[in-house]
Amino acid sequence: MTAVISAVNLSKWYGNVLGLNDVSLEIEAGITGLLGPNGAGKSTFMKLATGQLKPNIGTVAIHGRRTWNAPDLFRTVGFCPEPDAFYEDVTGFEFVAGLLRFYGFPKKEIGERAARALDIVDLSKDRDRLIRGYSRGMRQRVKFAQAIAHDPEVLILDEPLSGLDPLGKRKLIKLIKGFKDEGRTVLVSSHVLPEIEALTSQVVLVHQGKVLAQGDVPYIRDLIEAHPHMISVRSSDPRRLAARFVGDPAVLKMTFGADGRTLVVETRNRDHLFGGLTAAVLEAGIEVEEISSPDDNLQAVFEYLVGK
Amino acid sequence: MTIRSAAREVFGFFFVLVRRTGRTRTFALLGLIPVALAVVARVFLRGRSGDMAAVSTEILMVFFLQFYIIILALFFGTSIAAEEVENRTLVYLITRPVPKPAIVFGKFAAYSALMGGMTALGLAISFFILNAARLGEPALYATFFRYLGVLVLGILAYTAFFAFLGTVLKRAIILGLVFGFGWETAIQYFPGSTQRFSIVHYLKSLLPYRPGGGGGRGVALLLFRLEPTAPLLAVLALVGITAVFLALTCVLFRAKEYLSED
Amino acid sequence: MAVVREKGYAHWDGSLAGRRFPWMPITRTGIRLAFRKKGFKLAFASAFLPAFVALGGLYVSERLEDFKAFVQGNRALLKIDPAYFQLFLTGYPLYFILIVVLSFAGAGLVAEDLKHNALQLYFARPLSKKDYVLGKMSVVAFFVILLTGLPWILLVVFKLIFAGNLAFLAAYPWLPLSILGHSALLTVFFGSYALLLSASSRNTRYVVVLIFGVFYFSSVLSAILRGIFRSPYMVLFSLPENLRQAGAALFGGKLPHAVPAVWSFLVLAGICALAAAVLARKVRSVEVIK
Repeated sequence: MTAVISAVNLSKWYGNVLGLNDVSLEIEAGITGLLGPNGAGKSTFMKLATGQLKPNIGTVAIHGRRTWNAPDLFRTVGFCPEPDAFYEDVTGFEFVAGLLRFYGFPKKEIGERAARALDIVDLSKDRDRLIRGYSRGMRQRVKFAQAIAHDPEVLILDEPLSGLDPLGKRKLIKLIKGFKDEGRTVLVSSHVLPEIEALTSQVVLVHQGKVLAQGDVPYIRDLIEAHPHMISVRSSDPRRLAARFVGDPAVLKMTFGADGRTLVVETRNRDHLFGGLTAAVLEAGIEVEEISSPDDNLQAVFEYLVGK
Repeated sequence: MTIRSAAREVFGFFFVLVRRTGRTRTFALLGLIPVALAVVARVFLRGRSGDMAAVSTEILMVFFLQFYIIILALFFGTSIAAEEVENRTLVYLITRPVPKPAIVFGKFAAYSALMGGMTALGLAISFFILNAARLGEPALYATFFRYLGVLVLGILAYTAFFAFLGTVLKRAIILGLVFGFGWETAIQYFPGSTQRFSIVHYLKSLLPYRPGGGGGRGVALLLFRLEPTAPLLAVLALVGITAVFLALTCVLFRAKEYLSED
Repeated sequence: MAVVREKGYAHWDGSLAGRRFPWMPITRTGIRLAFRKKGFKLAFASAFLPAFVALGGLYVSERLEDFKAFVQGNRALLKIDPAYFQLFLTGYPLYFILIVVLSFAGAGLVAEDLKHNALQLYFARPLSKKDYVLGKMSVVAFFVILLTGLPWILLVVFKLIFAGNLAFLAAYPWLPLSILGHSALLTVFFGSYALLLSASSRNTRYVVVLIFGVFYFSSVLSAILRGIFRSPYMVLFSLPENLRQAGAALFGGKLPHAVPAVWSFLVLAGICALAAAVLARKVRSVEVIK
């Protein structure tokens, strides 16, 4: 698949502070999560990708076109910025419709598009209220509305779920996932791991201006060979199960859970362990209630990568 | 979109937006103060038509030329870039298919139209109140349009200059105030061609009076030490100042990246 | 395809391009470092003094007759007495400088707190409204006293040192008190003025325009009203003229206008009272939405 957003040796300085350090990545169609703590460089990358900042070194392009001073590119790109900033003296409808003027749509179409975008984010009832009087969640939603009103192929969303209540978050997550089904490209940034996990499994992990990892979460996990996998098994007889694994050289460490029914095994060879587990169930008749991988998630992967 | 069509849309958007702010209402009210003064002058100077002419010059041109249009142009001119950066709304403009120069042109046109309207309203009402006895004279209207023309040219030139300052500097407004109320006032004391390094010199050169001529005390204030430039050259200079600073603003705005303070 | 990178050092594969002027970074850094040294900025600015004096000479040479007339008409410049201090301390140049300083130091004092809803943060601490206002006012006071009090007291000291005796102080024993009293007047007025306007908007740029605009508009308005009514009392509409009147009264000099100084003091006090009222309303920990 061809990359929609591509960065090559991208670096950005703010005076003496390095905001982004030699980032090279390609983002394909679908939803990609940009994950990292505050100050990691996510917003810097997004600002570079949307032409708000100029790279010091390297390039960033959308559909092969560099984004700095390329206004035509934004016919097919929608951006939802992170700061809570608006033209406060207009209504929600005027805000979205006003910005739609810059695409050259006819007046009637502008009204229809604005109304549709506000309807999608559940702001139809409040469209004629001044933005100054909107709540935090409404402001976030109108920000999203202006990003989608012109039906962009590429959506770049900087912390789109911030300020929303749980129901609002769920609705927006469902909406964003819908864009993927339509074949669009969505780049979403967040510092909240469960939000990214709910949206996508394709992630780019960013820390201190560098890209630490990119790809599917399980694949990334597998590649982190430095850290053994943890497998948690809840069974009727964890000690008998443990006895079967004690002699296995692939098992590095075993601990018993506080509930007395869980055995946590650390191993570098997950497949071998699962084979042993199957044998234990069949031969020894040990009842296994639950098998899980406590560290096969984004939190654990991220912590491993940043060395916590 | 072409720069022209994009600028037109930017003009439409901001002309609506700027009229709604409380600050615009305050500036509009400020522009109507001469109307109140004109009414007061008519009441208290009944029968003193000579004084009326002097007062009309004093009210109108000292107030408008040396205060009102400078304050307006300073605030709205620096707002072209600075307002978007301060309010963190610049992102909504530069992530649209709008060439950056169109943003400058569109906002410049919108704010200039607003300022021109506010100035014209205050000037027209106060001027015709003060000269109510001469409404049948065609020459009066010629004088009025000449005054209006001077103020409009002043608005355009000052706004373009302050827009440039606002694009280049972070604290443009303070430097703009020092320029508008310091330099533009002090320059009249400078000998030779130094006066030509100001905008107010060219504006005063276009006034329908000459140093040493009649017109009352207010004229003496305005034309103090003026070594006027020929009217045509003055108009060309003002148009040139507007064009040059607007072009520089566009070039800088396009090349510069703006970082918000968060 | 998943990619995982090491966090550590990554060799840069790019190609090095030479600079057109390889010595430029050295020069730039050296200049920047020089300016970082304490006192260098002052020393560097002072180095231009001879040039400015020369420029003054050039100006005078072109306006020689005016200069002669100015000196003739302002013998006060050559006679050091309270009027000399009054001339400088109640002049428009000083007011202009104070207004510029206020724009930098005073415009955002309350406006920024209102913009960022920071008042709640202040009053979540053991801080009263009075402390807040006093703290903010002290910022303005620091600069105003530095410009209008300290240097002028030092000038009195220099006068005594240059004269080699205390005759000047014996002739005008109340002069230091006048200087301090005038400085206090300016401090209270400009502090109140700056806070009044800063509390009236969340937009610091607009407040800067107000600080300049109101101050100078009052002069314009006063001049116009004087033209209409031909009354010296119209001078009470002008903030700088009220300050000049009050200053003249404090220095025991001739009042610039035929208006009792008490009226000017009342106008200035009125503005301070208005500032207090506005601050009492605007500065609160909870925002009341109607």
